[in-house]
Parts: sequence; C-alpha cells; structure tokens
Amino acid sequence: MKNQNSKLQITNCKLHMNVISHWSLVISFFTLLFALNSPLYSSDQIPGKKQERPIALFGGTIHTVSGETIENGILTFKDGKIEIVSKSMMLPPGYERIDCKGKHIYPGLFSSWTTLGLFEIGAVRATRDASETGRINPNVRAERAVNPESELIPVTRANGVTYALTAPQGGVISGNAAIIQLDGWTYEDMTLKAQAGMIVNWPSMRISTSFFERRSEEDQKKDRDNSLKEIRNAFNDAKAYWMAKNANKIVKHDSRWEAMIPVLEKKEPVMVTANEMSQIEAAVSWAEDADVKLIIVGGNDAWRVVDLLKKKNIPVITDGTHRTPSRSYEAYDTPFLLPKKLYDAGIQFCISADEGGDGNYRNLPYQVATAVAYGLPYNEGLKAMTLYPAQIFGVDNRIGSLEVGKDATLIVTNGDILDIRSNVEMEFIEGKKVDLTSRHTMLWEKYKTKYGKK
Amino acid sequence: MKQFYLYILTLGCVLFFFQKSNTQTAHVEGIRQNTPRVHALTNVRIVQSPGKVIEKGTIILRDGIIESVGEKISLPADARVWDLNGKTIYAGLIESYSDYGMPKQEQPQRGGGRPQPQQQQEQPRGAKYWNEKISPQTNAMDIFSPDTKSAEGMRKMGFTSALVVPPKGNIKGTSAMVNLGDGKTNELVVKGNVGMHASLDVDFFSDGYPNSLMGVIALIRQSLNDADWYKKANDAYKKYPSLTRPETNDGLASLQDLISQRQTLIVETSDELNELRAKKIADEFKLNLILRGNGYEYRHLDAIKNLKTPIILPVNFPKAPNVETPEDAVNVELSEMMNWDNAPENPKRLNDAGVQFAFTTSTMKEQDKFWENIRKAVDRGLPQEVALASLTTTPAKMFGVESKLGSIEKGKIANLVITDGDLFKEKTKILDVWVDGNRYEITTLPMVDARGTYQTTINKEEFTMWLKGEMDGLNGSLAKGKKTTDSNATKLSSVSLSQKMISLSFSGDSANGMKGVIRMSGTISKDEILGTGEMSDGKTFSWNAIRTSPFVPEADTSKKKKEMQTATYPQQMFPPTVFGREKLPEQPEYIFVNDATIWTQSAQGKIESGDMLIHKGKIEKVGKDLSAPKNAVVIEAKGKHISPGLIDAHSHSAASGSVNEGGQAITAEVRIADVIDCDDISVYRELAGGLTTANILHGSANAIGGQNQVIKLRWGMMPEEMKFEGAIPGIKFALGENPKQSNWGDNFTSRYPQTRMGVEQIIRDEFQAARDYEKSWKEYKEGTTLPPRRDLELEAVLQILNKERIVHCHSYRQDEILAMIRTAEDFGFRIAVFQHILEGYKVADAMAKHGAGGSSFSDWWAYKFEVYDAIPYNGALMHNEGVVVSFNSDSDELARRLNTEASKAMKYGGLKEEEALNFVTLNPAKQMRIDNRVGSLEVGKDADFVVWNESPLSTIAMCEQTWIDGKKFFDRNEDRAMNDTITEMRATLVQKILKEKKGDGGGDGPKKKWRGEYDDIYDHPSKGMDNKN
Repeated sequence: MKNQNSKLQITNCKLHMNVISHWSLVISFFTLLFALNSPLYSSDQIPGKKQERPIALFGGTIHTVSGETIENGILTFKDGKIEIVSKSMMLPPGYERIDCKGKHIYPGLFSSWTTLGLFEIGAVRATRDASETGRINPNVRAERAVNPESELIPVTRANGVTYALTAPQGGVISGNAAIIQLDGWTYEDMTLKAQAGMIVNWPSMRISTSFFERRSEEDQKKDRDNSLKEIRNAFNDAKAYWMAKNANKIVKHDSRWEAMIPVLEKKEPVMVTANEMSQIEAAVSWAEDADVKLIIVGGNDAWRVVDLLKKKNIPVITDGTHRTPSRSYEAYDTPFLLPKKLYDAGIQFCISADEGGDGNYRNLPYQVATAVAYGLPYNEGLKAMTLYPAQIFGVDNRIGSLEVGKDATLIVTNGDILDIRSNVEMEFIEGKKVDLTSRHTMLWEKYKTKYGKK
Repeated sequence: MKQFYLYILTLGCVLFFFQKSNTQTAHVEGIRQNTPRVHALTNVRIVQSPGKVIEKGTIILRDGIIESVGEKISLPADARVWDLNGKTIYAGLIESYSDYGMPKQEQPQRGGGRPQPQQQQEQPRGAKYWNEKISPQTNAMDIFSPDTKSAEGMRKMGFTSALVVPPKGNIKGTSAMVNLGDGKTNELVVKGNVGMHASLDVDFFSDGYPNSLMGVIALIRQSLNDADWYKKANDAYKKYPSLTRPETNDGLASLQDLISQRQTLIVETSDELNELRAKKIADEFKLNLILRGNGYEYRHLDAIKNLKTPIILPVNFPKAPNVETPEDAVNVELSEMMNWDNAPENPKRLNDAGVQFAFTTSTMKEQDKFWENIRKAVDRGLPQEVALASLTTTPAKMFGVESKLGSIEKGKIANLVITDGDLFKEKTKILDVWVDGNRYEITTLPMVDARGTYQTTINKEEFTMWLKGEMDGLNGSLAKGKKTTDSNATKLSSVSLSQKMISLSFSGDSANGMKGVIRMSGTISKDEILGTGEMSDGKTFSWNAIRTSPFVPEADTSKKKKEMQTATYPQQMFPPTVFGREKLPEQPEYIFVNDATIWTQSAQGKIESGDMLIHKGKIEKVGKDLSAPKNAVVIEAKGKHISPGLIDAHSHSAASGSVNEGGQAITAEVRIADVIDCDDISVYRELAGGLTTANILHGSANAIGGQNQVIKLRWGMMPEEMKFEGAIPGIKFALGENPKQSNWGDNFTSRYPQTRMGVEQIIRDEFQAARDYEKSWKEYKEGTTLPPRRDLELEAVLQILNKERIVHCHSYRQDEILAMIRTAEDFGFRIAVFQHILEGYKVADAMAKHGAGGSSFSDWWAYKFEVYDAIPYNGALMHNEGVVVSFNSDSDELARRLNTEASKAMKYGGLKEEEALNFVTLNPAKQMRIDNRVGSLEVGKDADFVVWNESPLSTIAMCEQTWIDGKKFFDRNEDRAMNDTITEMRATLVQKILKEKKGDGGGDGPKKKWRGEYDDIYDHPSKGMDNKN
C-alpha cells in the first residue's frame, strides 16, 4: 500500500514536469536539488561528545527552578547526571572547573509544541514532513522523521532550548508526538521519549460567519459533527480492537489501532488542540467518556473554564503569549494574562512558543517574559518552560530542574534568561557540551569577514 | 350593503382585471380591448403626500393618470365607482434600489483560500472599456424585462415603482425608473437614464484586476479620467484630422454625461467608510452624488452628515446574534450586539442629522421583513411622515420623477396603495395596489361580512345564532329561543364562507333537542340568510336567518401599551467600536513629565531623572531640573522610562478590503490612502504597545505595488485625520518569490514575471514607460499631438523618477537587492528603503553607498526558500556598514512589541542600547523622511511618547501610556476601566437579546464588516505564502 502510494506520487510528479514547461518550477527544482546536496543543508555543528570528565560550575546564580535559587553556588555533574547542587563546598580534584561568576544557570528549556525536525522551509513542500495525508493517522510517529541535520535545531538551541516536543499535524488524529533533545547524530540519539502524546485536532465548534467561509451553516454543522464522530469512532474502534486483542481474538493486524493501545492504557496522553471555550469543554467531556489522559494544547479560552479544568485535573499547554486576542472585545493583554490566570487557578500548565513560523522556537523565553511582565511570578515563568512541561509529559524524573540525579541538561547565560539582551554562553545536554554556533552565526562570521571586521 | 369590498379570501391569488394592454406603437393582434379606464375612488381617506391628508375624498383616475383629487369632486359619468369607505389611500411606494427585471447574476464563489487564476479572457465584444468591470454603456432600460412574479412580490409590499440598476461591475451603467405593473417594458419605464451607477464591491476571489478595494477605487478614477481624455482627444481630432485617430470607446462615450454633471453618480457601498470613499471620488471629479448606503451610517454620523449627500437606505436590520449559551455568546463580538441594538435607529438618527434618505429593500435576504423593519424604525423614533416620504416623495425627487410619482396629485401617474388603516400600524393590511391606473388586488377580502347575531328558524324551532371571529375566519354558536348571550350556546362545529354562500354544521344535543350532525347552507344578502339544511336522518328543510344586530368586536385586552424601544448604548463613540471613547483625547496646553529616565534618542542621550515640557502638542524642553508651568498636566514619572513613540516602518494594519491588489504585475495607481480603516482594533492594540506611527504598505503580490500611507495611530479619529501630515508619498515594490508567484500554487505560472530576471526587466520597462509618458505631455504642450491620457499608474511611477515619491522595496536576496540598486541608479534615483531585506547583510556596503535604508524583520527566517539565509545579525551588520536600519512588524501582533524587537539588535550583533532603540524610533522616521517631526524627543518635535514601567528594551517592560501630539491615546488604567465597561455592556445586551429573542425579529443584516482576513491567507509565514511581507 505504502509503495503504491509513493509510486503514484512519482508518476504524478513526472507528469507534472512533462506537462508544465515552466521554467521557474524547473529552476527551483534544480535549486532545491543543489540545496539538498550542498553542505549548507546539513548543519555544520558537531554533536557534543559524551561527558568524560566531571564538571563543576561555580560562582553563578543557580536557578534550580524546583527549589530555591542559589546565589554564588556550585553545581557539578558527572556521567551526564547532576551530582551536586550546593551553596558552597570544597571541590574534589579531577573536575573541570568552570568559573560562572556573574552568570546564571538554568535547566535547559523545553519548547512544548513544535514541528522541529519535521519542517525545514515552510514554502518548500519537499521539506515538509509534519502532515500525513488522511484524517486518522494514530500510527505515525514524529521521532522517526526528525531530521537531525535541520538547520532549525542549532538555531533553536542557541537560545537555551534543549528539549522540544515535536508533533505531527493535520487531519483529525495526526499521530504520535515525541520529545527530542536538540543534539545528537541520529533521531535515536535525540529521542528522549517517543509516543509522548497522541495528537487530536478538535473540530471547530462554532459556525463561522467569516467572509471566507464557503460552506453553509448546515454544511459546517455537518462537517463538525462528522469530525466529532470520527474521533469517537476511532477511539471506540481502537478499544474494540484492544479488547479483542486482550482476549486473543485478533486475526488481522491494524496498525492504527495497534498504535492506540498505549493511549487506551493511559500510558500515552491525548493532546487535543482546542482553543475555544466550547472546544475545550467538549474535549474534556469526551476524554472522560473515552477514559484517556487529556492534555489541552492551545487553550486560548482556557481561562474561561478554569473550574472545569481544575476539577478534572487537565493540564494546558498554552500557545504562547505573542498572539492577538481572539476577539475584538477582549482586552489587548488577554493572551499575556492567560498563564497567570491558569497559575492562579492552580491548573497545571506550561508555555509553548510558536512565533513567526517554525524558525523561531528560540523565542520561548521572551514569550514567557511577557507573561511575567503581566503578573506571572518569575519562578513560575521559569517553570513554565522547564519543570512544568517535564511534569506534564512525565519526564520530570529526568529533566526540568536542577536537582541531584537529574540529567545534566543546563544552560549558562550572561544575564536573565527572560531578557532578550542576555545570551546563552554554555549549554550542556546530558552533560555533553553543545555547540552553540548555527547557520546564523556562521553566516554572520562569514559576512563580518567580507566587511573586514574580523 | 354598507361594506364595500366583501369577498372571499383567497390569499396569494392576485386577481387583476384591467384589460390586456395595447401599447401605443405595437401592432395589435386579434380583437382590440378598450374597456374605459376611468375610475372614481371615493369616500376614502387620502394621504396625498406626507402630512397632507384629505379625511374623506375622491380620486379620479383617467387612462392611468390622476385626473383630479379632492374632498368634493363630482363623479364623472363614465367612471367606475369604488366606494372605499374606511380605507386609506397612499401614493404608490417607490423601491429606490433594485435588481428587478435585470439579468440574474451568478453568485460569486466565496471562501476557499487563494483565488484561482481566471481563464484567459476573450476580448469583450464591442468597443467597450478595456476592463469589463467598467460598463457605463449598459442601460437598465435596454436589459430590463418585467418579471410577473417579482413584480407581484414587490406590489405586496406596496411598491408601485422601482429604480432598477444594472447588476454588474464597478461602474454598472444607468438605471431606470419602472412601474411594477404587468405590462410591456415600453409602458412600464417611467424614466430611463436616472443615474450612472457604481459600486465599491470587490470581487476578492477573482484573480483579475481589480481584486481589492483600493484597486476598485483606482479603476473607477482611471476610467473617469479616461472619459475626460476621450472628449478632449475627440475634440482635438475633430479640429485637426491629421492627428492620430483616437480609439472608439462606447464605455468612455457613455461617461460623458456623468463627468459633465448632466447625470448623477449613484454609488453602492457596504459600510459607512466606503460612503466617505465614494464621496471623495465624486468630489475629485465634481460629480453629483447619491449613495446607496448600508445601515452603518449611525456609527460615523457626523462624517455622513458632512457629506451632504442623499442616501438610498436599506432597512436591513441585523438579526439578533446567537447568545443562547455562554459558549455562543463568547463568540459574538460586542460590535455585533451594538449593531443589533443601534441599527434600527439608523434612520431616525440620520433624519435627526438632516440627512435625506429613501428606503430600499436592497441587501435584504428576507424581503418580508421590510414592513416589520420600517415599523421598527418608526417605533425607534423615525417620524411617520419621514418614513412615508422616504418611500414616496423623497425618492421621487431624488430620481427626478417628482412630476410623475411620489404623491397623489392631479396629473401624476395613477400609482396608489389602498390599505385598511394606517400604513405604519402593525396589523394594517395592504388591500390593493394601483399601477398606471390598473388595479392589482393584494388582499382578497370576503365578499360579505357574515358576522352578527341572527334570529333563525330551524325545523320550525326558534334559535339565536351568533357568527363571530374574523371576516375570513368565522366561528359561531347556536342556542334555542331568543337569547341575548351565547354563554350556554352550542358551538358550531364548522362555519365556512364561499363567495356569498355560508355553510355551517353543529351537533345535536339536549339543549337544542336535535340528534346527530345537522348541516346547513345558505346565501347571504344584506342582513338575511336563506338556505336549506339536512338533519341527521336525511330529512331536508329550508331555513332563513335575519341579522338582528351587527357584530361588535370584543375589546382587545391582550394589547399592552408598547414601550418605546431605544438603543441601550446610543452614544457616539470615538471610534464607534470596542475601546472607543465618548470623547476624543484632549490636548492639554502644557504637559510636564517629571523625573523620568528619558530616552531622547538625540544628542542628549538617555537622561536619568530628566524632565520634559510639552506645549500644544510639541516638545518645548527636555533636560534636567526643568520647572513646570502652573497649569501643566504633570506626569509623575519617577522610576518610569519615557521613550519616543515607536514607529513601524512596515505595517498592514488599518486598511480595508485587502492590502494586495494582486490583479496585475504593476499596480502603481492603487493607494492605501483610499482605504484607511480608522476603526481597526489593531490600532488600539498597537497603541497599547507604544506604537504611535506606522507606514501602511501595499502587499507584495506584484513587482510594483500600490502607494503607501503613513499614519499616526490617532484612535478615534477619521481616516483623513490619521494620515501623517506632509509625509512624503511612497510606493511599494516587491522582488523575488512573491511577485514571481513562486508560492501561489501550480496554477500561477503564466503571469509575467516568473523569474527574478523578469522582475528586474518589468520594473525597468515601467520606468522607461514613465519617461515616455512624461515626454508625451511635453510634446502635447508643444502643441503637436493628441492630448495624452492621464495615466494614474505611470504618473505615480514618474513621481519616483522625479524624486517626489519614495520606494519601499520588499526584497530578500542579495542579487535582487543589488540589481534593484543598479536599476535605480540607471534611472537616477535612490531606493529609500529596502523592506525585509533579509540578505541585506550580504550587500550592506552597496546599500550604504547607494544610500538606501534597510527595514528588516529582527529574526524571522526559513518560512520560504529566499529567507533560508536570513539571520538575526542582519540588522547589526547593516547598521555597522552605515545603513539606516529599522526593525518592522509586518504583523498586527508583532507591531505591539517593537520595543523588544529592538533589543534583538543588542542580542544579535551587540549594538548599544540607544542604537538598538533607534531601530524602532528615529531610524524608521528617517526612512520615511519624517524625522523632522517624530522619532526622537527633541525640542520642536511632536509630543509622541511612551511611558514605560521599565527600560523599553526589557522584555518585562509594560507600556503604561501612549501619547500622540500631546494627547493621551492610551492609558493602561483607562484601559482597565474600559474592559469593565465592555463586560457590563455585553452582559446588558445579552440580557436584552435573550428577552427580545422570544419574539425574534430582524433581517439577515448587512454583511459583516470585513477587513484583513484575506491577507492572512497570503501572509502567515508558516504557511509559506508571504505576499504581505
């Protein structure tokens, strides 16, 4: 089946090339080929080596995030794990000592909603791997299509983002998201947790009156109801399959429902994209029926239903703060205030950052900063991009804070991480030193040379 | 028989009995029909015109004309007499804007993203205007074909005439006033060539030109210029036949009456700002104007009033929005609720403001709501006389047919409406309509009124019988003996009336001493019924009944006194939408900023504990330890930071009807200035981020796009008042993937250019054409040629070459940047600003040498192929090479936080903080050539500044106040209060809607006001289509 599909695509493509004698298409096709072969398409940064010597960072301000912030503290790590976090102590010999006076140390940041590795250039179809065709794709897995050579990865991690949830898109059930760490030779090196969440796109519940809506009110309702049915049916079918399988009654394999078993076992959460009040309410009610673990992604209106979310204990991954209010009558700072409102209501949340396309997940701390500017406590802001996503995805035993025994994934900055003017000076992922250069710094260096500034 | 019309009710069936018409010129087939057409309508209340009433009078109609009207008129011997006692006659109503009898239009397709390219169009037949949207040669009279069914529908509402308007195009052609009878076109047309019609409607889903509002305006303007040229060229040719023969153009010939003011321009609009736009066009060409309005006039009432232009007003009041559940309500905009609440008062407020208007059902999907809405408008305070005038005398005058239509006067066309009461009362029925002296029955009343109390004998027994209910819906009862009350009477199980025959039945019981079902029927004549009946045993009998007393209707107890409805929030707001104010911000004479960190962005640098004195909107002093005049408004700013108002060198906010005119590769003639949307909520949100000035640019769908408009964010003021006074005009150019349609999909592969090579050439070609254009005027002035056509496109391009217009050039790749620089140099001018310019760092030296500025995204990249080499160090690298650099937003969202965009120039490339802040203050001002007015806090400059709680470069800085021209346009405290007000208003209106919804009213409402969404389809970078940026 799969082969047939790809053959078909090739034929289509040929047909295309024959029929359209269109120069720009041909040219851009060759440009693309050239680009694919050129070294620039693969990032030049070399993945960090496994930690060989224990390292001690001393003198810096250690933002443990989970506990108190330690001024002029010391943090050591060994074999990729944090060994000591302390106010002060004598260092045993054999440590690589790094003076961090005046610096800040934070856990590596976690961007909790991305397509990193799946998307390179938005407008170039050949570089888009996030949306499979069809509407029910629970079997596809993001980590297996992560391109470790993506130029977006070094650019993202240069600002301190060391982890990302990378998620498939499109359809009704898009597939399995994965948590990756942003340094490694292969996707296997990079995968921290596969099947981190099953992505479900909740249909829009509202009837659009937009000028651009082509469908009638009736058709919109029908489409919405069909999508809702599709979700219910998929999960019911998967459950039937799972039960049959438990009873040893399965005759033929179904890859889709096979992939749903961890979800039904509640080992993998369902991540439902839902922004509107009615979507969120419907998703919560559905998840209860389907008996699955729910995470709301987006949640622009989540502040309107905090009681429900609190009662049902549903975490929310907010869609950043750098967006405009959904409605004209809403206060201009509605998006800025969402994290604070969720925090005040005691809802488990984190902040993601999808801004200016896929290239700018690096702006995560600045989206968090806006929430802090509008009232979210500072340390909560830090948690919203470190510990909280780790907790939501159940990987806080390994990452998310600077605690003894956790992975030595951390960043050293020359100032407040929330401030744009600060820069990340050092970065470790599982104790491996990460190259902070990127396509951007390389081009910068190159053109400084042109102007004789170096 | 006292009652006059007494018939059977057959609703929906309209009988008319005027003779088959003989036109005055056509050949007659068969036997001629010559029934006399003389009628006397007498004993009737006559509303001759609004306010002029004859309580009991007579109208004589002869051959379709009102022969006489008055109180005491003797009935001519040849007249058929109609006793209309108890009825009222009005002049026939005029539908002022209609597509009645016009060819049906295909509904344009909506939705579905990017428009598909049109098939190569065949050249239109005939010597018409080159663009089919300009079709002035179309005459409604020529394409009109009466349509019995529609005419009937309109007559039911009381209309007897309609202005019919050709349906197609932005200049549609001329309208005609027609009568709504069932005759032949020749008889029905009262007046052809009533006015020349135009429309600002945009075919957004077309790939053809124009597909934006500004394109529509430009095309209309160009065609009017062309009409002027056509006359001059032909005059010249007549005089000097050896000149080049001017083309023959029926379209331009048809515009001559309009441009010489012998004809009125009637423009169809979809919102009140479009009405202002239409007026600007009319003023430019000194045209007489009538507007086809839209129902939003009340929002900018003062501006509409100042137009001093009559309006054809749809009474299309919006439906109550769906607020049933909290979830539903959340998605309803406050402005929608406000419109629901205020729109029915639109006619009243226009009338109070002295605006003249005529009503139309146009734009209403549910035409049967017409009267409901007219009555609603009256309930909401529109005087009845005005409402009536708006349907009769006003349109008659507006369209120059007042000698024939609009009132009941001798010599006018016999168009009449007969009702059973006051037209504006809820239960009033329109009974008949007369058109051209022919009667059309609308409501068929029963021929007799059977109601009353009767004495009757059935089977030799005396009975009393009561017939009650409606004339056309009888019920009744029966009791033995002579009774005065029907309280113990047997109910009749059926009563029906057909013509004059009444049939009834009842069950026998102990009270009447009969058995089974007894059926009876009889003929009514005056007060007597004579007929036969049949008992349950089959025995027949004859019966008669004498009416002993007439029917007395029971007092209507259900009728409660209707409370006068009014809008809950009728105040004029500035702007008339959410976050509008009741008053515009004032300009205090003196403002004193006390003890702040002042980022002057001038030689004075950053002043700690500084003061600033503002006088009449200008900065008078900046420094330390200044003293405040006594009457100064003092801003206590200890611990605060003051920066110049931020400036966005690349914005698409506040523009209506698409920011791209994508229909052609070159559209230099279109102007953002024509489509400024002063009510765009983005303006307020951007103020809340400290933005005070923005360069509103055309999109990048074409190599030479439209003209820009620099605005100040004066929230609440009108479009003209937002414009930055004296800013040098500019224009958008675009290079690379967007103009060559790289990311538009596989269907867009044929428009020139498709390569960067082509982009370069088409721009050069255009510059050459502009020079040739200039030459043609010179030669003309030397007196040797046909007058040249004024070409709005080439005129704008020529201004570039003559350094009267600056170029904002969207560009990414270094090759195209360099090539553009060389092109400009070859034509002797400088590119003012390269926009986006993400590879500017690669040729920063060439840019600096050329003198071009660079306005860049701080850190966007990778959304399409040409930005794969974009780096956030771009700004710093260009700056270091001496380029004047700004960071822009190109986004309604990013424009709210340009201050921290500036910080990225520190992060990426290590600029100093004041250099970085210049990227969003002084440098964009320099790029737009407005740095003499704004961009820094220096003596003599405009008092445009922002109060921050932190360094503006800090990510946790919050904008607290934004001032423009010494007026406070944003204040965070005030904003909090406005939010509370909005919450309260929503709650109140939701309650009001829920209360009223029980008896749901209203129509389908005017189309939602629309702007901008279109651009999102093109422009979200993650979608890889970025025509805007």
